[in-house]
Amino acid sequence: MTELGQHLIDALALGSLYALIALGITLVYTVMGMMNFAHGEFIMLAAYALYVLAGLPFGVAVAAALLTGSLVALLAERVAFRPVRNADLSAQLVTSLAVAAILQNIVTVAVNARAQSVETPAGLSETTSIGGLLVPNLEFVTLGLTAIVLGGLGWLLYRTRTGLTMRAAAENFDMARLLGVRADRVIAISFAISGALAAAVGVLIVMQTGQVSPTMGLTPVLVGFVAVVIGGFGRIFGAVIGGLLLGILSSLLGVYLPDGLVPFRDAIVFTVPVLILIFRPHGLLGGEVGRARV
Amino acid sequence: MSGALFRSRPSALVSLLVPLALIGLVVLVGATGTPSLEGTVIQILCNLIIVVGLQVFVGNSGVYSFGQLGFATAGAYVAALLTLPAAFILLQTPGLPHFIAGADSGPLVSTLIAAGVSALLAAAVGLPLMRTSTLAIPISTFAFLIVIYNVVANWDRITGGNAGLVSIPTTTGVGAAGLWAAVAVVLALAYKWLPSGYRLQATREDEVAAGSIGIGLMRERMIAFILSGALCGIGGALAVHQSGVLNPTTFYFGATVTTLTMLVVGGARSVLGAVIGAIAIAVVNEFLRGVENGADLLGVISIGEAPGLAAIGLGLILLATMIAMPNGLTGGREAGELSWLHRLGWPVRPPLVEPEVNDGARPAERPAPGALRAERISLAFAGLQVLRDVDLTLEPGEVLGLIGPNGAGKTTLVNVLSGFQRPDAGTVSLDGTAVTGSSPARLARRGLGRTFQAALPFPHLTGLENVAVGAMGMGAGRRRAVTIATGVLARLDLLRLATVPAGSMPPGSQRLLGVARALAIQPRYLLLDEPAAGLSEEEGEQLTEILRNVLADFGCGILLIEHDMSIVMKLCPRVQVLDDGRTLRVGAPDEVQADPAVIESYLGSNFLVAVDARA
Repeated sequence: MTELGQHLIDALALGSLYALIALGITLVYTVMGMMNFAHGEFIMLAAYALYVLAGLPFGVAVAAALLTGSLVALLAERVAFRPVRNADLSAQLVTSLAVAAILQNIVTVAVNARAQSVETPAGLSETTSIGGLLVPNLEFVTLGLTAIVLGGLGWLLYRTRTGLTMRAAAENFDMARLLGVRADRVIAISFAISGALAAAVGVLIVMQTGQVSPTMGLTPVLVGFVAVVIGGFGRIFGAVIGGLLLGILSSLLGVYLPDGLVPFRDAIVFTVPVLILIFRPHGLLGGEVGRARV
Repeated sequence: MSGALFRSRPSALVSLLVPLALIGLVVLVGATGTPSLEGTVIQILCNLIIVVGLQVFVGNSGVYSFGQLGFATAGAYVAALLTLPAAFILLQTPGLPHFIAGADSGPLVSTLIAAGVSALLAAAVGLPLMRTSTLAIPISTFAFLIVIYNVVANWDRITGGNAGLVSIPTTTGVGAAGLWAAVAVVLALAYKWLPSGYRLQATREDEVAAGSIGIGLMRERMIAFILSGALCGIGGALAVHQSGVLNPTTFYFGATVTTLTMLVVGGARSVLGAVIGAIAIAVVNEFLRGVENGADLLGVISIGEAPGLAAIGLGLILLATMIAMPNGLTGGREAGELSWLHRLGWPVRPPLVEPEVNDGARPAERPAPGALRAERISLAFAGLQVLRDVDLTLEPGEVLGLIGPNGAGKTTLVNVLSGFQRPDAGTVSLDGTAVTGSSPARLARRGLGRTFQAALPFPHLTGLENVAVGAMGMGAGRRRAVTIATGVLARLDLLRLATVPAGSMPPGSQRLLGVARALAIQPRYLLLDEPAAGLSEEEGEQLTEILRNVLADFGCGILLIEHDMSIVMKLCPRVQVLDDGRTLRVGAPDEVQADPAVIESYLGSNFLVAVDARA
């Protein structure tokens, strides 16, 4: 029982991390319809902010990292994504891949292609005992942060004017524009939030692994895309469900798979989304939104 | 796209010869250069084959697949394992079954087997993946790529695991690579110009309209997916026989990004785009890498070694290209369709052949007499009852008007009849066969055509191609489809639209073209949803004429939703009135307009005045 509880908490923490990644990706996807491959580089750059600012109080460094994520996302939107906003999917796709390559290699040139270690507060690697469960403090931070982000985003989307315009834009972008929603502003806000979410993920990953590398954003962004799609296209909180599902599945399979199959865990984990998409072509929360009116 | 259907041999020939000439040029550079340059050229050609393979699926379907490099991986491993010398097999892949380990196939046989295995894998993977929706395919193919990588990286006893394989015989020469690249180009163009390729392109242009002319989305995507998988497998097999080494990341995410980028930068809709993109990016990349490794630019600027600079440079070039030319360098056109050729006086679009008007315009004689019949159809959207117990019968050869106020349920009823919407209750039968819940494509193949409130043209196809693809949706071959399409266009007096891409036609022409396309499936029943909406008065009259012609020549039953009462009165001996999801009245036009309930609910007091004024 205790063991199961332990595994569940671990699984939930990983699921939360994935949910944060997926949330950042889906925010941009809903308002712009773009699969932003550079999201992983937003994560990476925020992590490098921690590396560069090592020595400052950790809280200050984290704040700077969040700011970095937002600013980089805003800059990328202004310089690269705005010009292709009305181009077709493939042009947007290649643009985001190009931005990813540029950001990644700027870091390679400026720092190094190899991984660098970053010191994190000692308290994070300790564990706290709750009712017999030994919970790493980092998992508390992850779960707490996810809860705060979800609450905050929910409040923003459903309790503020800005949130209303964002939801309207996500529902029907052109119609929202006709009704006076300022497209540039909504998209910029989405990118800023998306960048901050990426940064939060970057900080959590650094806390977990203690290192940064130019390619560290790749795996998170791949997982994030899959989570977004199984959650449901354009459904903001579907991404959270997708992320949680993928994280929990991955974590539990790691524990309960027979030894011989453990190396093939990813193969099994990534077969599940395909199965979901076969039976729910528009994702878990997707419904029939993708269907064109005839 | 355009031109190929037109017996326009010059245009098709140019489209074929230009990419082949480009490949020949690349081969020439490789054959006359240093051995290291030759190696680079062979890798470029192998990449080119993979990009052409991507084009077959991505370019024609318009759906992005991130999984095609998984087939390159499969092809590469198959080819490597088939040719690895026995001594190395024991060392690297002890679990390999003996019949493979013992096989000593040459480069040609191993490449062919690699192509076959990749095609089989694509068939097995495509069967579930092509069932997912258009938006989901990119991610589900992506998931497939991750699965393949994970399996290859961990199946140590067969694949050598993460360490990969070394000492693979390096048998791919520049000539062989060039030949295979030429084969890939010919196959890709041939597929694109066959009915199957046209059907897939139609789904790219408009999924809904493609369904209405009998095109089975999954089937067409499957065919391209398999051909694409085979070509990618060939590219992978040849590449590994050049480099001599292979590991799980050789054809993983990085290569996926590179090849997709090449395709998009060249222009995904054309095979020429794939070829130009692959060559252009490779050349730029080689140049930048030279700079990165330290080079003197014209002896003026000296740059030291700086890893990463080349990638930044390439990224910036990509950004600039996408912002300046979002459709890629070729704009998605084949060589024979490039406008500057036209300007040079090359006969890109020759005059049409004389249409064989009488051939194919008539629907085939179908023996079973019957009707399109809907009985007690009910349907609700989220609690809103749109149709309540509606009956409708459309006989072959008759014109039935379907009228009613906005929101009466007319379009929804047509959607139910044509399979786009499944009713909550009630049955639809076609010539006595129950077809409730059949797909639109299946109903179209059974002789049910329709148009939409929006014109839904296939914008990148010409007028002739738009109509011909309708016949192809019913299984007609190229020649017959062109004959039918020319016949329909001639009968509808629309031949002037034949060579114009539908996307650049005015809305009225697009709408008339939509009617022509629906007629090309030679329907027994034709459902027209407000065909005159948005037409000018002149176009409206032309449409009325067309519908009369259709009635006389094609002999199909027509259901006409129309707000313009003068058209309804002219064309329809029988009218059914819907109001609030119910049938209010069925009868002759004059009976209907005399019915107080109809006047009350729909026509309003101005109606009679309006009709009098028009008459």
